[in-house]
Amino acid sequence: MSIIVNLDVMMAKRKMSLNELSEKVDLTLSNLSILKTGKAKAIRFTTLEVICKVLNCQPGDILEYREIEK
Amino acid sequence: MSSKTDYIFKALNVVSWIIFVGVCIEAGGFIFNTFFTLLLNPVGAIRFWTEVNLSELYYYNQRDYITVTSLMIIVAVMRALMFYFIVKIFHEKKLNLSQPFNETVRRFILRIAYLGLGIGLFSFWGAKYSEGLVNKGVKIPDLQYLRLGGADVWLFMGITLLIIAQIFKKGIELQNENGLTV
Repeated sequence: MSIIVNLDVMMAKRKMSLNELSEKVDLTLSNLSILKTGKAKAIRFTTLEVICKVLNCQPGDILEYREIEK
Repeated sequence: MSSKTDYIFKALNVVSWIIFVGVCIEAGGFIFNTFFTLLLNPVGAIRFWTEVNLSELYYYNQRDYITVTSLMIIVAVMRALMFYFIVKIFHEKKLNLSQPFNETVRRFILRIAYLGLGIGLFSFWGAKYSEGLVNKGVKIPDLQYLRLGGADVWLFMGITLLIIAQIFKKGIELQNENGLTV
């Protein structure tokens, strides 16, 4: 997919573990893992909002568009 | 799952088992009586099955007798197989009604669809063959008793289930996508 999720980068900057983030955004570890590893097909705005709030960042810090050459 | 749905499922399970046992007995009876009549005692053709007297057909032409009984056996076995799959799905561990759109259910629908089409086609063939024999003056029981009736209904069911299986495929895609939505 051309949308890259840089959640691990933001988590490292904020020194937050996956468990801690999972508790704060009220998402299961499984779902967060799906997002972190780029397997997610879609993200709800409500989820994006709470992640940005917890990590104190912008959506653009977590989501990046990169053209993938076929 | 609500208790009402649970009861309906249990009732359907019981009914499916009853029908499955019935069609198995019927299929077994057809197979046994065919071989008994052909190999041991032709008098078996008189009481082939309930309301089924195939003695006139047997003495008219053995090849026609074998054809008609073979078609009866094929249809009966396919019906038994269909109900075997129906009974099996109730005991399928992979059947998760909280996520009903899965490959197991889709495969089940496809199997029932193909079996329905098969039953329809063989029933149609049997009906036409019997019609031909009746036109030649051979006295044979009604299609209902030969269990070769309702070919159009089976074909309709088969085609309808094939369409449903295609829609189900889309449902699986949407469910998987929803599963990967965070």
